[in-house]
Amino acid sequence: MTDPILSLNDVTFTLDGNAGKVNILKGISLDVAKGETLGLIGPSGSGKSSLLMLMGGLDTATSGTVTALGHDLTAMGEDALARFRLEHMGVVFQSFHLIGTMTALENVATPLELAGMSDAYERAKAELAAVGLGDRADHYPSQMSGGEQQRVALARAIAPRPDILLADEPTGNLDAATGDAVTDLLFDLSEKRGATLVLVTHSRQLAARCGRVVRLADGLISPEAKAEAAE
Amino acid sequence: MSLAQSARIARRELRGGLRGFKVFLACLALGVAAIAAVGLVRESLSGGLMREGATMLGGDAELRFTYRAAGEAEQGWMAERATRVSEIVDFRSMARAGENTALTQVKGVDDIYPLYGEIRLEPAMPLDQALAGADGLPGAVMDPSLMAQLELEVGDTFELGTASYYLAAALTLEPDAAGSGFSLGPRTLLYRADLEGSGLLAPGTLFETNYRLALPQGTDLAAMREEALSQFSDSGARWRDSRNGAPGLNRFVDRISAFLVLVGLAGLAVGGVGVSAAVRAYLERKTPVIAVLKTLGASRRTILWAYLIQIGALSALGIAVGLALGAAAVLALAPVLEARLPLPTEFTFYPGPLAEAALYGALTALIFTLWPVSRAEEIRPAQLFRALSDTRRHLPRPLVILLTLALAALLVGAAAFFSGLWTLTIWAALGVCFALLLLLAAAAGIRRLSRRLSRARWVRGWPALRLALGSVGGPGQEASAVVLSLGLGLSVLAAVGQVSSNMRTAIQGDLPEVAPSFFFIDIQPDQIGPFLTRLDEDPQVNRVDTAPMLRGVITRINGQPATEVAPDHWVVRGDRGLTYAAAQPERVSVSEGEWWPEDYTGPPLMSFAAEEAAEIGLEIGDEITVNVLGREITATIASFREVDFSTMGINFVMTFNAAALQGAPHSHIATVYAEAEAEPAILRDVAQTWPNITGIGVREAIGRVAGLLEGIAAAITYGALASLVTGGVVLIGAAAAGQPAREFEAAVLKTLGAVRGRVLAYLVLRAALLGLAAGVVAIVAGGLAGWGVTTFVMEGDYSFEPVSAVAIVSGGVLATLIAGLGFALRPLSMPPARVLRSAE
Repeated sequence: MTDPILSLNDVTFTLDGNAGKVNILKGISLDVAKGETLGLIGPSGSGKSSLLMLMGGLDTATSGTVTALGHDLTAMGEDALARFRLEHMGVVFQSFHLIGTMTALENVATPLELAGMSDAYERAKAELAAVGLGDRADHYPSQMSGGEQQRVALARAIAPRPDILLADEPTGNLDAATGDAVTDLLFDLSEKRGATLVLVTHSRQLAARCGRVVRLADGLISPEAKAEAAE
Repeated sequence: MSLAQSARIARRELRGGLRGFKVFLACLALGVAAIAAVGLVRESLSGGLMREGATMLGGDAELRFTYRAAGEAEQGWMAERATRVSEIVDFRSMARAGENTALTQVKGVDDIYPLYGEIRLEPAMPLDQALAGADGLPGAVMDPSLMAQLELEVGDTFELGTASYYLAAALTLEPDAAGSGFSLGPRTLLYRADLEGSGLLAPGTLFETNYRLALPQGTDLAAMREEALSQFSDSGARWRDSRNGAPGLNRFVDRISAFLVLVGLAGLAVGGVGVSAAVRAYLERKTPVIAVLKTLGASRRTILWAYLIQIGALSALGIAVGLALGAAAVLALAPVLEARLPLPTEFTFYPGPLAEAALYGALTALIFTLWPVSRAEEIRPAQLFRALSDTRRHLPRPLVILLTLALAALLVGAAAFFSGLWTLTIWAALGVCFALLLLLAAAAGIRRLSRRLSRARWVRGWPALRLALGSVGGPGQEASAVVLSLGLGLSVLAAVGQVSSNMRTAIQGDLPEVAPSFFFIDIQPDQIGPFLTRLDEDPQVNRVDTAPMLRGVITRINGQPATEVAPDHWVVRGDRGLTYAAAQPERVSVSEGEWWPEDYTGPPLMSFAAEEAAEIGLEIGDEITVNVLGREITATIASFREVDFSTMGINFVMTFNAAALQGAPHSHIATVYAEAEAEPAILRDVAQTWPNITGIGVREAIGRVAGLLEGIAAAITYGALASLVTGGVVLIGAAAAGQPAREFEAAVLKTLGAVRGRVLAYLVLRAALLGLAAGVVAIVAGGLAGWGVTTFVMEGDYSFEPVSAVAIVSGGVLATLIAGLGFALRPLSMPPARVLRSAE
């Protein structure tokens, strides 16, 4: 593998729950190559989403290192992580996570504005058009269907042209047909923009579209996945 | 389903505890506590005034005569009925010590004073020992503030009129002081007999003689009052008894408490906004439960009652907590209040005010919850399966609207009934309704404006500001709740601020420009010439007005007892200053009728103040009987005059023709308009040349009145602050309710690349915008209320007072900032993944 764009080295992640400590990730080492599409699969509670969050610097590993584009995310402060995401990462969530008080256009324009782009709104409009929602720019999330909301979320994630696109069960809340449409968009856009795509999914079909699949079980990469990764 | 089933559902629902109801309970409890506390303090004061009635009055009953002592018949009547009679004279004078002079209220007592209560002196000694005097001089005691003005120590001597006195002690407690009412000068107390030879009680001098009666136990005070008034009221005697030892004070306490209760009700309305928001939020959360219950067959009625019972139980808890809080606060602060209030108090458990507060609390809870609760019955089972937000926005059923209006009318009616101030209560209620409507409209307008602004081109590139505007203008109720609750609280404070600052301006700012420097009273006829010469020669004196002055009581109007014709009018309530004039004075303008000829000597004629005449319903030709020095004079009204009492010049309600009063013993009054720097010399000169003449510094007098009004304004401001505290609770509640949304927004923004500074800027701007909106609306609502009260209740000129307005807007912004930032810390510090995951 050429220099990985994302590299995790012996990463553990523990949360303090009401019933005591929960070891979610128990030592994950994984490299993702630039331009690769990687699917993370595994049963519920296996730690897929947590792993994705650590890749995006949205949470901090308990131990180990997470490196993205040569930057050690585990050594960065929260603001540095935010700036890093602004420049290099886009994230899509299962529940879309659009800001309810903003229209579709404003949601998409927000990261562009944060990046100080003077043409943020023009770009946002273009991105909305690219996901087929050019005519819904002024609608609030509550006025849109789930599929439409996820397309807005996708446009928002892809708008700043990220190097890495992270998607956490992006079709989990959508019906099959809508899910397929969103999946097509996700893969098309990441390919066109040359983004590395890491996605978490329960869907074998969706995973099958990825260049590589890593299976997690009980906080660890399962052996067959390791073998697959080593090939 | 039956009511019992509704109750069972309610009980099960309430098992979840009080989560989500803290703001509901706090709002209701605070409002009820404030009203209960005011009511308890009022009852404690009334109780104290009742208990101490005889002490404050200085006897079981009192007969008071103006200008004179009781005649033989009157003395005989008193002696026959009372076990002891104490005679006291009371008048204003100038006390002098070396170069210092000061206005004092002199009380000349006899050797059995005080009949009731205890006098306290410093150093401690019996009164008779103090008044016995020393060094061959009669003794006197003085209020410590007067001693300080005159730079006197115990053992020094001072002068009153032409006599000297030995200052034996400081007077630290005068038991009947509160019953004597408002006085312009601090007290000097000495024996009545020692005033002989001082020249202070000459004929025509303004003084009162009070006869305090100790009566046998079981005396029927009401019957005795009737008897006294029927025999002596025409001779100018006035009656008071221990059932109401300090009627003015009682009235004052009642009025202030009524005002405070009205302010408290405004606070309860603020709390109502919080109560309503809390119930709405609760029912939003309960929508799935209600939908499930309906799926299982629960009727609309069952659902309605189930939630009404829950809200009722919680309201009862809130009210109970409020009553306990109010009572505990008053009882805990009782020692402090007892020490600070210059009135007797009796702090104990009074059920009346607690019941009143509970009633207001229950009605407010019903008014503000009926609407949101009625929406519960409209929830459909299908709502389990789709978003609900837009399905229940229409008005509730007409019955609910009617019931809400009826309850509101009942609340206003109860407040008016208990306060006795119908007009003011109705205006206050209309004011609160208007403020609520204004705030509702403003909240809608602000949301719309924010939404438009968030899309404006110039905002692009300022993501924090755009986010804040978008958040205020976007869907959701938080912006409305904050603007309503904080806005209403601030409106009450703004109104109080505008009224009190206008009042202050009226007293301290406007009047001194036209007001004289001094009033001089008790100028004897032979002194008026030299007195005027002294002032005319002074180049720093700009103007001197003089008039003869007597005092008299209006006893009859057209032959009917005056107190029956105009029972509550101030003109007939006590004795009034009278004057006489031959020619129409220069500054007097006759509005109706004609002034008498200069040489008129016929039956007595009178010119009456036009405004007061209109209030009483007098007409030209009406007959007014006035008792002057025990003699009845009946005069026919020949003219009405425009009298502006606010100029503080010489103004009399009644002016007689000269021949009618000229023969009666009287003194003169003068107003002197002089440069401020000349004032001390004038006062000193007059006091030393004519010791019997009393000079009252208008600035000083205004200061004392202003001080009293400041106290009232402070009490009402505290009341308004209580409503602001409730507003603060609602604000905190709204901020707390909005915290999950803020956490979510912060997490999303951080995910999208916003650094914490930017997220903080967004949260700060959002809070500031809401605070600013609430503050600006409060200034408009408060300004309008202030204008209404100043113009129509106080009949003064209103001018917008910017300082308190700016303070209020700043306070609004600051309060929302603090509440907003307090709840921003968590969203800022939480890793985005955890927030977003919990929102999945």
